[in-house]
Amino acid sequence: MRNVIHLIGMYTKTTAKSWFQYRVDAVLKSLAVFLREATGIIVIWFTLLKFDSLNGWDIYEMLFLFSLLFLTYGIMIIFFTGLRDFGSTVRSGNFDRFILRPRGLLFQIIFVNSDWFAALGHGGLGITLFILSAGQVGIQWNAANIIYYIFTVAGGVLIQGAVFLVLAALNIHLLSTNSLKNLVYWNARKFAGYPISIFHKAIQIFMIYIMPFAFVNYFPAQFLLRKDDMSAYPEIFMYLTPIIGVVMYMLAYLFWRFSIRFYKSSGN
Amino acid sequence: MRLAPYFAYAKKCFLGRSAYRFDHLMGILSTCMQFFIFYEIYVALYGNNSEIDGITMSMVTTNFVLSMGLGAVFSPDDYFLPNKIWDGSIATEFLRPISFKGRMIAENLGNALFSLVFHFVPVLVIALLTVGFNAPASPVMFLLFILSAILGFGVLWSISFAVQMTSFWLVNIWSLITIKNVFVNVLSGSMIPLWFMPKWMSGVMSFTPFSSIYFTPVQIYLGQLSFSEIALKCAVQLVWIIIIYFIGNILWKKGQQKLVVQGG
Repeated sequence: MRNVIHLIGMYTKTTAKSWFQYRVDAVLKSLAVFLREATGIIVIWFTLLKFDSLNGWDIYEMLFLFSLLFLTYGIMIIFFTGLRDFGSTVRSGNFDRFILRPRGLLFQIIFVNSDWFAALGHGGLGITLFILSAGQVGIQWNAANIIYYIFTVAGGVLIQGAVFLVLAALNIHLLSTNSLKNLVYWNARKFAGYPISIFHKAIQIFMIYIMPFAFVNYFPAQFLLRKDDMSAYPEIFMYLTPIIGVVMYMLAYLFWRFSIRFYKSSGN
Repeated sequence: MRLAPYFAYAKKCFLGRSAYRFDHLMGILSTCMQFFIFYEIYVALYGNNSEIDGITMSMVTTNFVLSMGLGAVFSPDDYFLPNKIWDGSIATEFLRPISFKGRMIAENLGNALFSLVFHFVPVLVIALLTVGFNAPASPVMFLLFILSAILGFGVLWSISFAVQMTSFWLVNIWSLITIKNVFVNVLSGSMIPLWFMPKWMSGVMSFTPFSSIYFTPVQIYLGQLSFSEIALKCAVQLVWIIIIYFIGNILWKKGQQKLVVQGG
């Protein structure tokens, strides 16, 4: 166990070192990620200066909804960068090197690389939005709500991690899953910051049952904010995030274990 | 100056794009999705109002479909020069008996033409069959819209050109390009119709080139501008092209003297 912790420490140190190799670039990169991700926020802010509210959600409630999305992604990407970029690891044949080492595969993939730019950019944005909105939306930050919030963030991290894990495992069968990832993950994420109640039924079904972003931010925010548009959905949805996270991650892990047996090297 | 080689580059780019059919299809799907998302957001924002500040929902829809469609066409390759500096192939580029900038424009135009036919048109048809949008105010306005859209492309191209030229000094300009794209996305009206920008913001924006990329053509299309206003706005587009291109060109000249190619 101590050996494992030591190894994680070493990996983190090398990642951090490679990050600080180009200092100006590192700062600019984090700023660029921060701004790119803030685009949606800036747009909604300008829009709500004009329109006051979107289906009953005012600007602070919208920011709170967005904050959950960015915070969970920021935490997730510290651990799952290796899975996000797993396609190129497979295609370049680098995965073979992992197989030869005397440690678990998933352990190596998770800790060998972390995208600190994305983690800082997204996480920073998530924290900023949380600070801006948490005091303005009328949430009582008592023990119950704080515990709920921690569990729900963990659940949101696991949900997105599970999707990355499944897509990574699919790489073993398909070699390239970039288009699929764009379709189900990145496209969905573009509008996951909006209350799903404003969208067409088909999109709502997609966001609840297929790529369950609704459980990352919408339903948890509903638990804390209790907006009127929640009446369209079963009340139980507000409590499911941690369970869905754990179940999805376990299923994804089983699929990963199953897929890994089919791995054939593409490199030389 | 012989144009044949540039034409060949444009054609090469046009044909090259048709090789990646699946990616292209995904691109169309992604533009449509983005369009429908913004459409639904504005349906929710409008609620029962038929118009807000004299702007009807169908004008908003038209703004989104035109600016997102044009956005797909106007996609200059931001990494044309940076990639060549990064891998050193810029050295062989200078040995060729044709203008580098000319080739850059030719390839971008080849790409743009491909996107116009196979990206913009399908998106327009899908939008027309589903939610519908306004017809051009008149045939004359439609022709002026095309003229202004071409100038808008010029503005966006020269911004990309000038930003790319900084790669002579900075080498890795991913961050700079990303920041540039944030400005273009937010301020050009493709994500928020500029009618709804707060007053102070419109003031700030009149000193920037971004609103003349998509919003000027859209306003002409909808017949919101008189002929004298159109003349003025198109002149503004032209001035921006000249100013930004001029800055880019200074960097281009200085950059060539500064250029160091590593390796061989």
